[in-house]
Amino acid sequence: MDKFKFEILTPNGEIFNDEAVSVVLPGKEGEFGVLAGHASLTTLLEAGVVDVEKEDKSVESIVIDWGVAQVSEDKVVILVEGAAPIRGTNEDEIAKALENVRKLINDVADSSTAIASVSAKIESATQRLI
Amino acid sequence: MANLKDIQRQIKSVSNTQKTTRAMKLVSTAKLRRAEELAKRSRLYAQKMNQVIAEIAGRIKCSKVGGLDNRYFQKIENPKMVDIVFVTADKGLCGGFNIQTIKAVNKLLKEYKEKNVKVRLRGIGKKGIEFFHYNEVEMLDTVVSLSSKPDKERSDDFVMTSIADYKDGKIDALHIVYNGYKNMITQELHVNTILPVDTEAFDCDKIRSSSMLEIEAEDEEKMLGSLVEKYINYNMYYSLIDSVAAEHSARMQAMDTATNNAKEMVKNLNVEFNKARQAAITTELIEIISGVESMK
Repeated sequence: MDKFKFEILTPNGEIFNDEAVSVVLPGKEGEFGVLAGHASLTTLLEAGVVDVEKEDKSVESIVIDWGVAQVSEDKVVILVEGAAPIRGTNEDEIAKALENVRKLINDVADSSTAIASVSAKIESATQRLI
Repeated sequence: MANLKDIQRQIKSVSNTQKTTRAMKLVSTAKLRRAEELAKRSRLYAQKMNQVIAEIAGRIKCSKVGGLDNRYFQKIENPKMVDIVFVTADKGLCGGFNIQTIKAVNKLLKEYKEKNVKVRLRGIGKKGIEFFHYNEVEMLDTVVSLSSKPDKERSDDFVMTSIADYKDGKIDALHIVYNGYKNMITQELHVNTILPVDTEAFDCDKIRSSSMLEIEAEDEEKMLGSLVEKYINYNMYYSLIDSVAAEHSARMQAMDTATNNAKEMVKNLNVEFNKARQAAITTELIEIISGVESMK
């Protein structure tokens, strides 16, 4: 399958820079998926979960609080204010990652429905890890 | 020939100064490393952010997307009131670091004065504030201790006033003047025009082929607004980070030069001291010999 470069930049540096097969981004108008060769576009993102499918079929989830996505045919760059990956190899690490994520989401999402929908997604991402 | 005691005292005082400057240099080197790291990490984000904004601005200019007449992107002819934000250090002893920024601000002030444009000066950093106070230049507001410890929240609060006034049409432009970090030994002065977003440099032909802009039509205005706000906030914050890194590199250099100068001075004083001592010995010897001679 075709792959493309995917980068997540925060004010404190890069938190993700790798090849991806597909990504799902939380756009303002709803979620959208991007595959290699996607038409160029620039759009705003809102608080939510970014799912990145890598070459080896593994999926990584990263929670963001706000963002701008710049999609071009062979590269996707998203600029975010804050981001927290949901990853870890044991329960302790996962718990810690989840705590960071909750903090990030509670800071930004102003409506409780937004928090709820994001929380649900976080939940399923965590399930995948365990 | 100076008194031996005097020279000794001078040597001691100069070498004490040398110790101080060397310590200050070491402190600055350590702080620089941290500040540089932070600036480096943020630079990528700042560049991308500017690129995104430039692209949007360019597209608005070229295609007038949905008849957008967003104030952020409009070039304003004959501005009446502009904001100048300057960033200097809170502390001195860093060579020409602060004075360069002050000079740039003065130049800008003069230019606007000639055009009969009113300027609101907003200061960050004690040294610049002191200078303009002393010269009785009026400032809208001033903030200290922000330039030595950049803080996103405080910087957002500070620049928000300008953004709000720009939106209301109270001011027609916003400039940020600061001395930025280039490498260990050079600083680079930046005079950035943050508002209105510069669309001049953008080539229309290029964008049409490159990409499209997807923004929900209903609240275009609002969304672009929020994006531009983030852009300005981040630019302000990045100016602060860059300025701290530059401050430490400037101080490190100034202190290095001072240490070397002190070393040189001690060396010269030592030569002088030895000469004086030799002269004293010679005089004493002559006295003894002539005493012996006269007794014969």
